[in-house]
Amino acid sequence: MALTFLRGIQLNPSMLYPSSYFARKHGVLYCCMRSAQTQTATQEKEQTKLKVSTQSQPKAVDKFLKDFEAVIGIETHVQLSTLTKAFCSCPYNYGSPPNTSVCPVCMGLPGALPVLNSKVIECAVRVGLALNCKLSLNSKFDRKQYFYPDLPKGYQISQFDIPIASGGYLDVDLPLEYGGGHRKFGITRVHMEEDAGKLLHTDGVDLFGSLIQVDLNRAGVPLLEIVSEPDMRTGIEAAEYAAELQRLVRYLGVGNGNMQEGSLRCDVNISVRPIGQLEFGTKVEIKNLNSFSSMSRAIDYEISRQVELHNQGQIDQIVQETRLWEEGAQKTVTMRKKEGLADYRYFPEPDLPGVTLTEEYVNSIRESLPELPEDKRRRYEKMGLSMQDVLFLANDINIADFFDTTTAGGADIKLAANWIMGDIAAYMKNEKVTINEIKLTPQELGELIASIKDETISGKIGKEILFELIAKGGTVKGLIKEKDLVQIVDTAEIEKMVDKVIADSPKQLEQYRGGKTKLQGYFAGQVMKESKGKANPKLLNKILLEKLNAKN
Amino acid sequence: MGSISALHYLKPTRTTNGTSLFNFSKNRISQLPVAFRSYTVKSSVLEPPDVPRLAETARISLNSQEIEEFAPKFRQVIDWFGQLQAVDLQSIEPAIRADTEGDNLRGDVPEKFENREELISAVPSFENPYIKVPKVLNKE
Repeated sequence: MALTFLRGIQLNPSMLYPSSYFARKHGVLYCCMRSAQTQTATQEKEQTKLKVSTQSQPKAVDKFLKDFEAVIGIETHVQLSTLTKAFCSCPYNYGSPPNTSVCPVCMGLPGALPVLNSKVIECAVRVGLALNCKLSLNSKFDRKQYFYPDLPKGYQISQFDIPIASGGYLDVDLPLEYGGGHRKFGITRVHMEEDAGKLLHTDGVDLFGSLIQVDLNRAGVPLLEIVSEPDMRTGIEAAEYAAELQRLVRYLGVGNGNMQEGSLRCDVNISVRPIGQLEFGTKVEIKNLNSFSSMSRAIDYEISRQVELHNQGQIDQIVQETRLWEEGAQKTVTMRKKEGLADYRYFPEPDLPGVTLTEEYVNSIRESLPELPEDKRRRYEKMGLSMQDVLFLANDINIADFFDTTTAGGADIKLAANWIMGDIAAYMKNEKVTINEIKLTPQELGELIASIKDETISGKIGKEILFELIAKGGTVKGLIKEKDLVQIVDTAEIEKMVDKVIADSPKQLEQYRGGKTKLQGYFAGQVMKESKGKANPKLLNKILLEKLNAKN
Repeated sequence: MGSISALHYLKPTRTTNGTSLFNFSKNRISQLPVAFRSYTVKSSVLEPPDVPRLAETARISLNSQEIEEFAPKFRQVIDWFGQLQAVDLQSIEPAIRADTEGDNLRGDVPEKFENREELISAVPSFENPYIKVPKVLNKE
């Protein structure tokens, strides 16, 4: 059914309503969602590609959408950055040669027994607390049976009816481009489980009847599955929820949250219902979302697709299924239909003891939690920073740390924010480096700001020094001394230079006094040159003006 | 703690003929709402074992004669387990796991398995560096 429907769409590109409708917005969206170091070429490429189809957009979709509400819930898998796997001591490093980090436990050999990595519990408790969850002091592992070659044991060790954490929430600030605003999204549960291996369907191997390549390095790597309440209503909200989870795991240091590597994977459940209706519509699951922007676009596409089916009186065509997001075509396509509930035949994992947490343990972890993104944003807000500054600085834990260290040293808050978001961010973007890779230290940034503020150097020279500090390192004091950059604030010295320039430019002086007063700029430039850029501009202009007009 | 609030679920419900059984039915377990703690004892209804279904989940093929042979055997085993239902648990706090000594955790210290060659040599179809398996369709 849905297949023929999809074919119909392909044949009529003019009817291809949803993807392009939302396209324009998204170019802007992910600038703010992605961390500073990852936003580059791809987004520009996508943006231009998307623009092509924006013209022929039927306005009708907009009208339809207003009568409907989408209900969105997200399942996120966070890969934990432990040194070893969840149940065996195999080291895990992304990108290791295939099948090199394996042992009898993660290969599922008979008789091999799992032993839980204590770090996995620690990470789960950290995330559970950070998500304001209730923790189960007694939980356990369960076996989830499924039969697939990426899972050598024939079952996944997971948690079923008693997750380690449940009933929490996550605070999110929406990007300003979309009107901003604060949201609180419910967290249903957080549980621990193991990852499966990787399957590779290689070139030249046809889909029917031939072989699949299996790499078991990832089998047994610890994951946290975080399930949200169905609290999101738009693609933007969903993408920002995911971006906030990424921030959270990075702040907590439990994972790298890298979507491209699959360290953060989001599956979205989405249904639409007419506004005012209480029960949910039929939900569809979307997989293969490997960036926040594709998440947002996939959801908006899917909302439009479902709303369109409602409006065409074809609600029965919305079936419970898993759909894949196709980045190239900018649409979702059927992957598999669900036929009844999957039968995982869960039962308590007999090879592992229960998981017991003590109050003391939980408290010690609670005390060791860093300042979380939400707290940081509220603190920055109270410091008087604009929301734009707040969102930028708190987005990346390393940038936030840099800013915090700079201001802790007494640097002016707004100036520190401006330098970081301006010249420093621009440098990092151009050179594709992170803030930890630049040579400038927060202490020297503070020193630089102070030196400009107390007029030791001019703002212009400050900027020049900044780039040297970023690229080569060194100290502000050292550079000022080495290059003799101290700003000239001595009136007599500036007067001397002004006199010299005026004396050297009789023609211009005559013209100036003849009424061509905009020549003041010429004189100012000459004096600045004379001072090698070091003259205090305010003082320079004041003296210059006096002298130029003096003999009139 | 959750275990206390769950106590009132505990009263075992006897089936009409006085026996109860260990319930393997898929729906019983997988349809439980997430928040529900399924370690509580569910009331049991004697259902005949669905042998073709069990065979399918175990990925073994049985012919109709074998299915007929197995059915009473399964039933025997289930009834045997069913005797457990007769135990009075009224005053007992439910345990989610059997007691073991301590948590038996390990530190996050990497250790490479030394005999990888033997592991790999036991793989029926290995083409360096990948394990090769037939293409299978997910039977969910």
